[in-house]
Amino acid sequence: MNRPSHPARRPPSALSGLMLLVAVALLAGSCSSGDDDERLTVFVASSLADVLGDLGDAWKSFGGSELLEVVGGSNHLAAQLRDGAPADVFLTADAALLDGLSPDRAPIAVLNRLATNHLVVAVPADDPAGIRSPADLQRTDAILVACASGVPCGDATIARYGDLPIDSYEPSVRAVVARLTLGEADMGIVYATDVAAEPRITAAWNEPPACPCITYAAAAMTDRGSEFLEFLETTTAQGVLAAHGFAPEPAPSGSQ
Amino acid sequence: MSRTPNRPPQSILVVATLGIAFLALPVVGLLQRAPWSSLDDLLGRRAVLDALRVSLTVSAVAAAIVVVLGTPLAWILARVDIPLRRLVRALVVLPMVLPPVVGGTALLFALGRRGLVGQWLERWFDLTLPFTMAGAVVAATFVALPFYVVTVEGALRTTADDLEQMAGTLGASPLTVLRRITLPRLLPAMGAGLALAWARALGEFGATITFAGNLPGHTRTLPLATFQALESDPEAALALSLVLLAVSLTVLVPTRDRWLPTR
Repeated sequence: MNRPSHPARRPPSALSGLMLLVAVALLAGSCSSGDDDERLTVFVASSLADVLGDLGDAWKSFGGSELLEVVGGSNHLAAQLRDGAPADVFLTADAALLDGLSPDRAPIAVLNRLATNHLVVAVPADDPAGIRSPADLQRTDAILVACASGVPCGDATIARYGDLPIDSYEPSVRAVVARLTLGEADMGIVYATDVAAEPRITAAWNEPPACPCITYAAAAMTDRGSEFLEFLETTTAQGVLAAHGFAPEPAPSGSQ
Repeated sequence: MSRTPNRPPQSILVVATLGIAFLALPVVGLLQRAPWSSLDDLLGRRAVLDALRVSLTVSAVAAAIVVVLGTPLAWILARVDIPLRRLVRALVVLPMVLPPVVGGTALLFALGRRGLVGQWLERWFDLTLPFTMAGAVVAATFVALPFYVVTVEGALRTTADDLEQMAGTLGASPLTVLRRITLPRLLPAMGAGLALAWARALGEFGATITFAGNLPGHTRTLPLATFQALESDPEAALALSLVLLAVSLTVLVPTRDRWLPTR
């Protein structure tokens, strides 16, 4: 292709395009900022992300405002809070992460034992590798994915299953579920609630819930957040959690 | 091109200084927080050495593939009248503007175990790319290739093909022309493209973690290890960042003046 014969003509058009972009961005920013102030910002552990939609609906029926969800691994969210990210509520899969927040970012209220959950070995619904029993976890010809250590589901995986030939350490339990639904992994270690919520995956074998399990905690970072914490203690909120398979009390202690 | 001997206008100097400060500030921030006293211990850790080895291997193999695939591609884009050239060029540049996570997802749907081509790779050749170092190389190559092609193509288009044509009239075969005239003139641009592509491959994160996963010693490169360490062990994350910075500077600074045109 030839170079433009009038190079001087191009910069103005590129520049005006850029200015238009900036103008649009500013306009969009000024329009949406009003709504943001109304919303309650909830940092939510990925395993609770599904239930938060229903919790938000129930919260609104109590006169609460719209929720702005920020989903991620609890440890990633805690790191963001440490760095000053604005949140009204933090729903974490690991209460110990709350102690790690800097003093000026300490929660003003904490609800321990919001709900509990336990791990299961899940496979894609068509189970391509034929996973049948716990012994299959050691198979090296099948691809096994789990959460990375540091993420609550990853720490729980190590505590529950010990040393496994894991092929990929994922940043959140959602990422593990995605590996299974896409058929990239043959088995993955996820929460019981993930299996209940996602029709494209099933539990590899049936076993009674066993611990070490995880206990969710809710922390209010602002006054508005404390109102949401009070709501979480209501029977309505607890009912929503139970409907999604979260146990109100810790699951029976396993032998491990 | 000759430089003007006059002093540049004050306003340009001020803005340029701001630009330099903007780019330098994060590096200064990193250096002042670096755990210098415990650096020895942090860098000697197996996790750091593993990540360094994976990163150097993956980026080196990716850079080699980039040169092999990219040089003919750049030549065709610059010198041959191929149909749909605009479309082809847009396709080549696409990974530069695509968010790497999207690139990784696209690679999964194409080369993953149930991907368009990937399912046949697994069925026929028992070749699985996700969760292997080969997968990390594929991800790095995908994002790095355009940087090389664009650089080399630009050089080919700005150097006239008069010498090539002359050699052709004097009886040199096309391959001789390529070997004796085109390639030697192209070497500086190839070096510049290679340096850029290698740097991009070394820093690759999104496509790698999406397509190749994250396994120490196999697919966990320095950027993935840094991301992993950031929440649990910030000191180690800083140490890893320093390694990445040092490796990048070691390759880019000495080659910058030689390879990137300094007109």
